[in-house]
Amino acid sequence: MERIGRILLMIFLSMALAAPAIAAEPEGTLRVATTTMPNAIDLPMGAERNAHNVAWQMYNSLVWINDEGTVVPALADSWIISEDGSEITFKLKKGIKFHNGEPFDADSVVYTWERGKQDKMQWKEKFAIAENVEKIDDYTVKIDTGKPNPLLFRVMAEYWAMIPPEYHKKVGENEFLNNPVGTGPFKFKEWRKGDRIVFEANPDYWEEGLPKVKNLIFRPIPESTTRMAAIQTNEVDIVTRLSSEEAENLMNVQGVKVTNYPVDRVYYIAFNNLTSGKGKPTEDPKVRQAMNYAVDVKAIIDALFEGYGREATGYVTPGNLGYDEQIKPFGYDLEKAEKLLAEAGYPDGFKIGFACPSGAYTNFEQVCEAIQGFLSGVGIETDLQLMESGKYWDLEGKKQLPPLFGDSWSEATGEALPRLKGALGGMDASFSAWSDPKIKEFLDKIGQTIDDAERAELYVELQRYMQENPPFIYLYEPVTFEAMSPKVKDYRPRPAENYYLKYTSVEK
Amino acid sequence: MQRYILSRMVQSLLILLGVLFIVFFMLQLTGDPVSLMVSRNASPEQVERLREEMGFNRPLIIQFGDFIGGALVGDFGMSLRHRQPAMKLILERLPATVELATTALLIALCIGIPLGLLSGSNPGSFWDTLARGAGLVGQTIPNFWLALILIVVFSVELGWFPTFGRRTWEVFGMELPTKSVILPAFSLGLFTTGQLVRFTRSAVLEIKNEDYVRTAYSKGLKDNQIYLRHILRNASIPLISIVGVQFGYLLSGSIYIETIFSWPGIGNLLAEAIGNRDFALVQAIAFFASLVVVTLNLLTDIAYGLADPRIRYGD
Repeated sequence: MERIGRILLMIFLSMALAAPAIAAEPEGTLRVATTTMPNAIDLPMGAERNAHNVAWQMYNSLVWINDEGTVVPALADSWIISEDGSEITFKLKKGIKFHNGEPFDADSVVYTWERGKQDKMQWKEKFAIAENVEKIDDYTVKIDTGKPNPLLFRVMAEYWAMIPPEYHKKVGENEFLNNPVGTGPFKFKEWRKGDRIVFEANPDYWEEGLPKVKNLIFRPIPESTTRMAAIQTNEVDIVTRLSSEEAENLMNVQGVKVTNYPVDRVYYIAFNNLTSGKGKPTEDPKVRQAMNYAVDVKAIIDALFEGYGREATGYVTPGNLGYDEQIKPFGYDLEKAEKLLAEAGYPDGFKIGFACPSGAYTNFEQVCEAIQGFLSGVGIETDLQLMESGKYWDLEGKKQLPPLFGDSWSEATGEALPRLKGALGGMDASFSAWSDPKIKEFLDKIGQTIDDAERAELYVELQRYMQENPPFIYLYEPVTFEAMSPKVKDYRPRPAENYYLKYTSVEK
Repeated sequence: MQRYILSRMVQSLLILLGVLFIVFFMLQLTGDPVSLMVSRNASPEQVERLREEMGFNRPLIIQFGDFIGGALVGDFGMSLRHRQPAMKLILERLPATVELATTALLIALCIGIPLGLLSGSNPGSFWDTLARGAGLVGQTIPNFWLALILIVVFSVELGWFPTFGRRTWEVFGMELPTKSVILPAFSLGLFTTGQLVRFTRSAVLEIKNEDYVRTAYSKGLKDNQIYLRHILRNASIPLISIVGVQFGYLLSGSIYIETIFSWPGIGNLLAEAIGNRDFALVQAIAFFASLVVVTLNLLTDIAYGLADPRIRYGD
């Protein structure tokens, strides 16, 4: 009898312990301020980061990049990579439904890809990364990339948001953009243009226990001072992209929590050896090294960003695959700079053209003025032109900027390859002003190496080469500031300033 | 009268065409929107292909002809960023801007005219000093600065008004304004308030000494009657012109105020469109704004006639 009693007690206790494991219903409302109003709640059409951040809350791709940066299954259960690495066969999860009840299957994958690669789509090249997407059976698709492409999974996770073919065909593109449907943790409820986008929890979401909040509202607040006020008055729960001064002002405000994290963005002054920089002293690697030594990046970070920021060691950031821990920033060394310039045959410096965009990045005009000052310290005279950013990027795309020009490059995939190819791809890349056969060789090799460890090794070698032969004056990687209500739990922003809010909850 | 209206309409049309011409060619000076529409990783061929598809590689004069042809039938093309018809986007944002402009004008009228009257009728008094101060402040304080101060004081510190955004109250399908409009409307209407105070004051001062006012006094009319029937009515002519012109500006959307308060109106849309070099949208908004201003000016001229029967047009 005693034994039966003990067993009953054990059963009772185990039930009591198991109780909290039963998924809690989503509750509460999370209000997030965005810095612009998304042009579309859509991946291939979404113009920029804000649009993508909003859109990903209601979509899924076949794979997902988790918080540790690893590719994990999402709507795909598993996959097999062909021997030559160019074909990947995905097995899809069964029983998943879109918010409108339409089943998710292989047709959805094929249709999503076909829509995404249309000419009118802003991010069509992210879909054109696959040469073909073929339905094998209802829950199997084969993706052919022609040759091995290590970025496929990451690009899919960032852009291939699955959409329902029947619904999209029925309502057409415009109506779909007004009433989008996905499989994600939240479903679309309302979009008041210029004012708010409202989502609600998807009760049938396939990841158990997610999302945590019932209502998710995005409010655009373009002006950062207003964002700062809105978090103080508890009108929103999360605000992003504050300046360091604004963040400091909020630090002692009750009911506001301020955080900062490094962003996967590199600021640099680029050299040109394709057009305007041909035949200039900057073609000599010693001169370029000297210019790196001549600029006191730390002083710039301290003076203009109140110490928040990291001296860039190259074009691969600490969060990227294959970041070289051993590598050090050039550092400010006037003697070395002068010595290198003398060795290169320019002991008295030289004159060179220099341009920077204005109104594009925080304090970047001042950064460029500081660089102008530092360079003149070693006799390099620059005629800094500050240009309206739209015009600037137009000229940059046409390779018509002076031989020295400032800019920055962010990366969302967690790997530096797109950024490296974009800025160093020579004549084949619109925004590149530099060509170096050795770098090209590295990039080609990296682009065809599927194995992560091997690729990481190549990145390390490339970074070392790019210190000896710098195609840039490496500047800094910024820190972004955000503020939130202390009630917000488990908000996990990532270095590309993107976030997935399925885990985030709001305490009562 | 009809001939006058007709000739004014022809003039207005010419003004609109001029605006379209200037805006079109000025925008071209800002560069090519295609570079903002593709990802930075795009190859030069991709960029060129898009430029061709969008028609940006054609001679400017042909692009302009195309644009005018479309504009004549109300088609301003597709917004490059939103990929939707530009006019549709404007009409979506119109109610918010109308609400803001109307409230701003009402605030200006309710404060400006009584204060101007009080001040003009009692020169040198406390009210006069107050009104002259208010008029000066209204016309000199930059409204975006005032907007930020109002947010800090009335939203953050006192918590009386929301910091940003537009909230409406729906009654029988109609969207009625709530207190969310007060701070942006006050900031926006401040300049007009100042102008109204000063104009009303000087008009009253001038008219007060006219013979007919003295006659009215000598007839034994009461102050109220004299102010309403004689002074205010005669002062209303310059006021109508200010109100008409100012309302046009208010309605065409305020970039600063709408951006600061994140007000979902046309000004906010324009700020975003300029930032993204959304040519079609900027052109459509510029056209829309000039249409509003030109129309209101025309209506103002017609309203003169109603206020002052002596004014006749071209007869």
